[in-house]
Amino acid sequence: MRATTTPPPSRELHRWRNTARFRQLGLQTTPGRIRALAAVVVLAIAGFYFVANIAVGNARDGLRVIGHDAGPQVLATGDLYFALSDMDSQVASILLTGREPSPGTRQQALHRYNQDRATANRAAIQAAELSADDPTDQATVRSILDGLGRYERLASQAMVLDAQANHPAGPPPRNVIAVYRQATDLMTQELLPPAYNLTLEGGATVREAYAAKRSAVLSGRLWVALAGLAVIAALAGLQTFVTARFRRRLNLALAVATLGLLLLTVSAVRLLSDQAAHLQAAKTSGFDSILTMARARAISNSLHADESRFLLDPGRADTYSLAYLDKSQAVLYAASRNLGEYYTALGTAIKAYRANPRAVRFLGFYGDEARAHPGPAVTTLLSRFQQFQTDDQRIRQLTGAGHDRQAAMLVTGHSAGSPGYSFDQYDQAVVSLIVRHRGTFDQTIRAGDRELGRSVVGNWSVVLPLAAVGAAVLVAVGIRARLVEYR
Amino acid sequence: MHGRRAGAAAVVALALGLSMAACSASGPPSIVGKQTLRIGVKADQPGLGLRLPDGRFAGFDVDVARYVAAKLDVRPDHITFVPVTSATRETALGNGSVDLVFATYSITPERATKVTFGGPYYVAHQDTMVRAGDTAIRSVHDLKGKRLCAVAGSNSWKRVTQALNIAAVLAPAASYSACVAMLRDRRTDAVSTDDLILAGFAARAGPAVRIVNEPFSYERYGIGIRKGDLSGCEAVNRAVSQMYLDGTAAALLQKWFGRTRLQLDTHVPQFEGCE
Repeated sequence: MRATTTPPPSRELHRWRNTARFRQLGLQTTPGRIRALAAVVVLAIAGFYFVANIAVGNARDGLRVIGHDAGPQVLATGDLYFALSDMDSQVASILLTGREPSPGTRQQALHRYNQDRATANRAAIQAAELSADDPTDQATVRSILDGLGRYERLASQAMVLDAQANHPAGPPPRNVIAVYRQATDLMTQELLPPAYNLTLEGGATVREAYAAKRSAVLSGRLWVALAGLAVIAALAGLQTFVTARFRRRLNLALAVATLGLLLLTVSAVRLLSDQAAHLQAAKTSGFDSILTMARARAISNSLHADESRFLLDPGRADTYSLAYLDKSQAVLYAASRNLGEYYTALGTAIKAYRANPRAVRFLGFYGDEARAHPGPAVTTLLSRFQQFQTDDQRIRQLTGAGHDRQAAMLVTGHSAGSPGYSFDQYDQAVVSLIVRHRGTFDQTIRAGDRELGRSVVGNWSVVLPLAAVGAAVLVAVGIRARLVEYR
Repeated sequence: MHGRRAGAAAVVALALGLSMAACSASGPPSIVGKQTLRIGVKADQPGLGLRLPDGRFAGFDVDVARYVAAKLDVRPDHITFVPVTSATRETALGNGSVDLVFATYSITPERATKVTFGGPYYVAHQDTMVRAGDTAIRSVHDLKGKRLCAVAGSNSWKRVTQALNIAAVLAPAASYSACVAMLRDRRTDAVSTDDLILAGFAARAGPAVRIVNEPFSYERYGIGIRKGDLSGCEAVNRAVSQMYLDGTAAALLQKWFGRTRLQLDTHVPQFEGCE
């Protein structure tokens, strides 16, 4: 059909070759054709450089955001949240202790309060440095530090009043509670939310960067492969033309350029595959779990504080025990309508998990963690969480039976068998999982950095332009000797 | 000649295949980028979400929804407000009849298994409303043996009878406006729910009712989003942060609740987190 409706292409070509424009290009002479082919090759090399540069740049951006900006930001703000929340928890503990059981308990809590404050300051400075290019985040960190100053004044005031009251273990007098309420409301309404939201914001930034950069690296890999093939095809065309026209066996310079670009293409494609894999590993095996566990640690500390506040402030006992239940369920969700049912449901869920770690029948942070990383570390974590909850149940039974003093002494104690002790044990299990995920994360980020910084012969940002210029020079050298024959 | 053409065709096919593979890795459709939004709000809660006689909706939730929609680049005339009740919020989101829910929707762990929550955009506290003459009820614990209004789909009565184990007698109702009517008609003894909701009704009911003023929970008002829309949830959270940062939240709280004696918190709440 086509042959009858359109003229044969050769006639078209012939007509075009006779036009003035064609003659201007000089394409009817051999040197003209060589120059034209060489120009095509150089253009193809430029194209290759262009797409490879973009793809490698995307890989570099992805690693920077995930590995060096938002990733560390999540850790720093997680530490900030924990330290702040623990300060309030220690204050509650001090106020609950009163003059009992031993002067050591109060001293210990005070010491930890001071440690927490130092940690909070350090973490805040780190978070501010990491958000150097985001004025809103920096302002947020500054406002947290300002609020911390006000918090410390209120906390000291409460502790001074409490010491003056010289009360037995249990709820302090009303005037102490009134000041503590101001302090804890400041902490939970003004200081902790922005810290937690910064952690979440870091998570959102990583998720977005990961989705965008990983797919950019993968499609970049395709473009690099295609551009590399185009360069090699153009070089092969030039080589064929030159060898055929001059009856030579091989143009060495062109052959070297071809080989070099083949190697470069293959290693660029490999680099981009590896980078995509590193981004994926850093995000899914490292970062996601770090974020989950950092949030679990923050919420856990806050629910632990709610346990002390429940004893400290009987006027808000309902509020704090409902908050405790909500937060416990955020950490590990087992369907239940109240705390009593939760303890039971938690026990059943963990027992089922121990029997078959492949079938996770609970939700919440630990549901995610157990599904992502089944193993002994998660089993330990769950057992310790359960132990803490069992101790909590005992505390609430004691208060329910009117033994406030005994409950307060148990909560503030740090010897084996007390909720204070079991919470510390539990927190250590959380921290060791964070450390483990951090190891995976750092390792993949380091591997990515190393590969980007080191191609077969050197840094990629140096190799790419050098190789492109080198190949262009080789092409020039290769055709120059032939063109000279026409002078 | 044929061989070369086939080769070129193969390369093109490969390119298409690979680029399509790269694009297919996306989640469920997001509210981000939508030109129009259908937003579920309450129709019978003064101060929060109320349908006016002319059919328009007004209240704190409605204003917050407008602000967030504007931050999602949706024009005001492209928002459709859809009345929802406590019982229909999850299904409305699930079947796609609304894109977002701003309807005094407390975040609870149980609900979070069904919907994704942006925000909270405010933290209210549960309190109890009784008839003005009823002085026997001074805290939620005094509801033992009393009739408590139970709105279908609401979490508030569960907080009392299930979470706090207080043996109140449940008096079922479809909405809080119905509960307030029942309270005045002596068909229930108490309405226990968020202080913001109670404040709106108390302002209308005048001296006939009294709020006990013994708050006993944190009710974190979430923005209901279809389960799994992470970028939508993140965008909504950024909008809420912005709302507190630029003073809009404080202004809206003042506008709707400034005349009540509620203590208004003008600091950005701790977000639930999107997943």
